[in-house]
Amino acid sequence: MRLRVYAVAYLVFLYAPIALLPIFAFNDATIIAFPLSGFTTDWFSALATNTALHTAVKNSLFIAVMTAILSTLLGMCAARAGAMARFPMKAGIMGFIMLPLVLPEIIVAVSLLVVVVQIMGWGLSNWTIIAAHVLICTPFCIAILNGAFQNLDPSMEEAAMDLGESRFSAFRLVTLPLVAPGIVSSMLIAFTISLDEFIIAFFLSGASPTMPVYIWSMLRFPASLPVVMALGTILVALSIVLLTIAEILRRRGMARAGVKDKGGFL
Amino acid sequence: MWQKLTSTEGGRGLLLISPPFFYALVLLAVPLGAIVLFSFWTQDFMNLDTTFTLNNYREIVEKPIYGALLQRSLYVSASVTLVTVLLAFPVAYFVSFHVRPERKSLWLFLITIPFWTSYLIRVFLWKVILGYNGVINSGLMKIGLIDEPLTFILYNVNAVIITLAHAFAPFAILPIFVALEKIDRSLLEASQDLGESKLMTFLRVTLPLSMPGLVAAVLIVFIPTIGDYVTPELMGGAGGKLIANMIQTQFLALNNAPLGAALAVVAMISVTAISLAFVLLNIRWLKGRS
Amino acid sequence: MTALITLKGVNKYYGDYHALRDIDLTINAGEFFSLLGPSGCGKTTLLRTIAGFEGVSDGVVTIGSKDMANVPANLRPTNMVFQSYAIFPHLSVGENVAFGLRKRSDLTRDAKAALVDEALAMVGLDGYGKRAAHALSGGQRQRVALARALILKPKVLLLDEPLSALDKKMREQMQVELIKLQRHVGITFILVTHDQEEALVMSDRIAVMFEGRIGQLDDPETLYRRPKSRKVAEFIGKMNFLPAEVRAVAETIDLDVAGLGQVSVSFEQAPEGMDTGPAVAGIRPETLAVLFEGETTDRMLVDGVVDEVVYYGDMTYYDVRIAGVDKPLNIAMKNLIGRPVLDVGARTQVVWDARSLVVLR
Repeated sequence: MRLRVYAVAYLVFLYAPIALLPIFAFNDATIIAFPLSGFTTDWFSALATNTALHTAVKNSLFIAVMTAILSTLLGMCAARAGAMARFPMKAGIMGFIMLPLVLPEIIVAVSLLVVVVQIMGWGLSNWTIIAAHVLICTPFCIAILNGAFQNLDPSMEEAAMDLGESRFSAFRLVTLPLVAPGIVSSMLIAFTISLDEFIIAFFLSGASPTMPVYIWSMLRFPASLPVVMALGTILVALSIVLLTIAEILRRRGMARAGVKDKGGFL
Repeated sequence: MWQKLTSTEGGRGLLLISPPFFYALVLLAVPLGAIVLFSFWTQDFMNLDTTFTLNNYREIVEKPIYGALLQRSLYVSASVTLVTVLLAFPVAYFVSFHVRPERKSLWLFLITIPFWTSYLIRVFLWKVILGYNGVINSGLMKIGLIDEPLTFILYNVNAVIITLAHAFAPFAILPIFVALEKIDRSLLEASQDLGESKLMTFLRVTLPLSMPGLVAAVLIVFIPTIGDYVTPELMGGAGGKLIANMIQTQFLALNNAPLGAALAVVAMISVTAISLAFVLLNIRWLKGRS
Repeated sequence: MTALITLKGVNKYYGDYHALRDIDLTINAGEFFSLLGPSGCGKTTLLRTIAGFEGVSDGVVTIGSKDMANVPANLRPTNMVFQSYAIFPHLSVGENVAFGLRKRSDLTRDAKAALVDEALAMVGLDGYGKRAAHALSGGQRQRVALARALILKPKVLLLDEPLSALDKKMREQMQVELIKLQRHVGITFILVTHDQEEALVMSDRIAVMFEGRIGQLDDPETLYRRPKSRKVAEFIGKMNFLPAEVRAVAETIDLDVAGLGQVSVSFEQAPEGMDTGPAVAGIRPETLAVLFEGETTDRMLVDGVVDEVVYYGDMTYYDVRIAGVDKPLNIAMKNLIGRPVLDVGARTQVVWDARSLVVLR
């Protein structure tokens, strides 16, 4: 019982900052502090007219979509290889691919910056961010897809081949439908991570910033803080929706494959 | 060759793993190598001097600011790790042992949600909570516990530690939870059947068996925290800046990429060395028990 | 009888591990053939080389006199019932059964549906076509797996431990159904099992495998009554082993058996090429008997003392010590009307017959 109280208190600690977001987003004052004054939706209307923000959001959406697709494709290769085959140096190779999960993001950022700008002499663009985001999102995609692929009975595909399908069509007809929820949920997670990522994007963004980089610049100006709160409220709502969809799909995938849910994204 | 690769299970595995492997090789291994190489070069404004030199490292050793920053960074990372893991363990334990199986994924979902949502704004909101006119101060003053706002909770190392402990919470909870889930529940009954109390059962069975999860949690919190520069920038004030802020400054403001690279290398080596030492000590401790 | 599948000199290596060693085997058309052996003996590997999921390291596999070396699993005239059944969980029962008909462009939709209904009826699942596959019981899954394989009218049906996931009652029921089904469709069945009883009940012929080799290939009765090696004798049923010495090999094999004395047996009671020297005499518990009071026999008798009694209801197993043998003889007695159950320590006589002996090296 004491443990339950503690766990609930811990959840309050986790949610405390987020709970403040809508409060200040609708608060009719430019200073982010208590006591609250009146109710307003001005900060949300201000979002609609901010063209610089719109450009930043467009950049971020493009980057996040590309990252979601590419890292999920790489993640599928790795998860399937990991679940279905034994091959030389398997543990080493898998560990290496999962390495960005523990690597400090600033290291990924500066090392790519050095290679792209100083050594290759290329310019920074959305694509440099996409390249880095795919690198850090792939381990998350693998973790999610591993669940989907490892729960598959390997004789499932063999059965399809035994019944006359080629290796490729066995994959298409049997494996793909069974891991589809995992794929969608992997794309949603990668999309969410990329959309929110700041540390790498700050180093690697070109002339036009991504949304988090733009938010960073807004944080320096007290006058723009309420607008940031409004934007944050929308983002939190959006990511809760996306993550809920991802979670529902993940569970449905588990149910479809006929396995008991063991819980968790990671 | 192609035939040989596609005809065996191992060959198909290698073929499948090669796209993500080469991607990581080109975008991770090569750049990491480049950083090391770069740290032995020098830069004067825009001109890169590629003669091999240890000057960057000499500067890091000789100027006390770098040593102090590194020391503070390691202190912050270690504190964050300790706080996060200690706070997280009971939660993981609760979800694994006291939550009904069908409710477990809901709890995990609730724990992970804040982690996925707007990192920058989340850090900033801690400033709102801990600030001079913040939630805590105005709350405490209203109920009369304090007369004037507390100042030791913002713009210093403590604020950085609290904020980071919040940001990395799910990273600590999930691996511990996974390790606890793997423990066969009949082992605990066996221990009690053999005469151990609940507390001793926890110490002699549950805790040693959850060690892999604890170690993973420690590493997955300790290593990445060294690279965070957002939290110290927003929360640390003048005395709370860390090594990552210096790396960022060298690269983006001072245009001294080689020195920044050398700092990054030094930070990585320190973190790796401490992590390895921790893992080795842990293995020896576990061996010493059995 | 015509040969359908032949394996010649088949070897399979996984790295250093030698999974199949010099397998020579012929399986006839219309036969119910079993591969029996302990886990890790290579029986499943052998089945998978016939199915085409594993290549052979060397040797030749032919099906219907066609070399299968470059024929992948999907083009072989074999279909398999997997140990896990591998029922596609995202498809209905009917869609599972129709899975292999996808490329049959010669069939109309109605013709395919008719085939599915027919296949489901054959395995006793009439009207299950619309059901979701993941809601089926173990026995029903197995029937779907059978229907799914048989609808393609393969030359060979491969069954990989198909009954191991079922409970005892269901297993016994399915054994009978599988025999009936095999007689009905007339297709060659190859069954992999580690359960000797299952193999004895169902098969026309059984290959017993140990460590990648075929130890003995015979019909069930010969295999049980005349095992040709101690390994086979130990794996199938129970057997008492007595030290023996072969004295002469002429028109019969003459030997001294510890505890039983001088015995002569025919050549079919020993492996080929039996020679004089030390050997082992094997005798099954149910071919021995305890002589109860008032019973008489014209067979051989030897004095003994009851060492252990295990009562099974329909049977009683006695361990009886006889002079000159370290291990007591295990004897299985039916509990017929009027037969008492002897106590430990009781003096008795053991009835035996040289015709039920086997001589092994």
